[in-house]
Amino acid sequence: MDFVQTNIDGLLAGSAYALLALGFSLVFGIMRQINLAYGSSLLVGAALAVWLEPILGLGVVGLFLLTVVACVLAGLYVERLCFAPNRGKTGATVPMIASFAIWMQLDEVSSHLLPSRTHNFPGLEIPPMFFGDLYLRGDQIVQFVVAFTSIAALYYLIYKTRFGLLLRATAGNAETAFLLGAPTGRLRLMTFLLAGLLGGISTFLILSADGQVTPLFGLWSTFKGLIAMMIGGVGSLPGAVIGGLLLGLIEAHSSTQFGAEYRDITTFGILFLILIIRPGGIMGVSAYQTGRLAQERI
Amino acid sequence: MLSINNLETSYGLIKALKGVSLDAAEGEVTCILGPNGAGKTTLMFTLSGIIEPDAGSIDFFGTSLTGLAAPKVLREGLALVPENRLVFPLMSVRENLLAGAYTRNRSDKDEVEADIEKMFARFPVLKERQEQNAGTLSGGEQQMLALARALMSRPKMLLLDEPSVGLAPVIVNEVFAIIKQLKEDGLSIVLVEQNVVKALEVADHFYLLDQGRVTFAGTPGEMENDDVIKRAYLGGG
Repeated sequence: MDFVQTNIDGLLAGSAYALLALGFSLVFGIMRQINLAYGSSLLVGAALAVWLEPILGLGVVGLFLLTVVACVLAGLYVERLCFAPNRGKTGATVPMIASFAIWMQLDEVSSHLLPSRTHNFPGLEIPPMFFGDLYLRGDQIVQFVVAFTSIAALYYLIYKTRFGLLLRATAGNAETAFLLGAPTGRLRLMTFLLAGLLGGISTFLILSADGQVTPLFGLWSTFKGLIAMMIGGVGSLPGAVIGGLLLGLIEAHSSTQFGAEYRDITTFGILFLILIIRPGGIMGVSAYQTGRLAQERI
Repeated sequence: MLSINNLETSYGLIKALKGVSLDAAEGEVTCILGPNGAGKTTLMFTLSGIIEPDAGSIDFFGTSLTGLAAPKVLREGLALVPENRLVFPLMSVRENLLAGAYTRNRSDKDEVEADIEKMFARFPVLKERQEQNAGTLSGGEQQMLALARALMSRPKMLLLDEPSVGLAPVIVNEVFAIIKQLKEDGLSIVLVEQNVVKALEVADHFYLLDQGRVTFAGTPGEMENDDVIKRAYLGGG
């Protein structure tokens, strides 16, 4: 029974990691660029939300909306400042390093908004559920349901709509998509908006489950998102979901098997192995192969 | 028709086009020849709005395209099939075609579907592979897809950048058969080619581009009798 419980705990935690990884993967998949300021834009969003919420007095739903809006705005700020000015002029390195600088800036802003280091983040206060010996935290069930609803909505948007077709075309070859009439600049902005939306939702879910927000949340979410993305396959959206869930499972199992202090070293060890065996991540390889196949057959 | 006057384009300090003037008439195939580095692809990129020219003008059926970005150029009816096809490898053949129709109105949905069926009739191999990812197609099939994708926007004129590059001779024949068909259907085409023998089969007018300048302009007959071209491109002399 413990084994089943651990799997459930892992999957519930992993659903939030999946959203974080999707935020990274969207930006990388569509723009071939890594946004290192992603985690800190989520932190500053959360900090703004908990700072504003008592002033506005909107309750939990208000806090949710505030968090999401603030995370989206922070994401767009990063795009305008680091990515838009370098579009088409420099490679992927310049915006990545610029986003590192913005990471520092946003973390600094957050610590001014949250001077007490740990700040209370109101939880959802949903009663737990019991199935025989299995114990399910109410807020984690909500987290899981919301995460997968968001993933389903994203899937629909990317694979079933005209907008999604264009996003995937831009991901495949931005210059050709531009030739076919795609407004690539606006699409990039929309990508950041989507990433901010997913990040804002996961930020609220994670922080309300923890009941607190600390200045370390930015670094933490950058790590979790990047690791989940690398496990699943860089730039692959299904890979991000798989990577997030796997990361949750790995953490849950290593905590119960070896104790919480070995959790991170086990995670990094497994990431290390995956990078040796499948350098592209679990789903990344197929994309690479298809590209190579096309090259070979020309 | 397309009328280019004194077009200059540069990459940083390097001037790739040093005042190119040429005309492409309606319903004709205009062929641009030239060695590697002559500026042929730069010319295609400038015409289609990927690169902005430094000077000169581009006039297309009475509208100025000078300095317009690619999406606007396409909406005016000038479509480029880039060199090396550049299909979207992880999207299906059908999705590639749909992406080609992006500039058309949403309300045209039925007509776009009808056009996809027309493409399938013209390129039967694409119908067979419509659900396959474009990256799994052979080079020749990808060239057909790139052509069909450009046609989905219903252009008035098609710019073809080296459609035969890297293809087997049999496939090159197929590509040129399609170009001939398109010409018979009344489409105006600007063809960039290094394969002069094949180009002679379809082109009405030739321009030779060398180091960013037009060094020869004339009909196929005039070209075949030009000593320099005979020696450089057709062998013998």
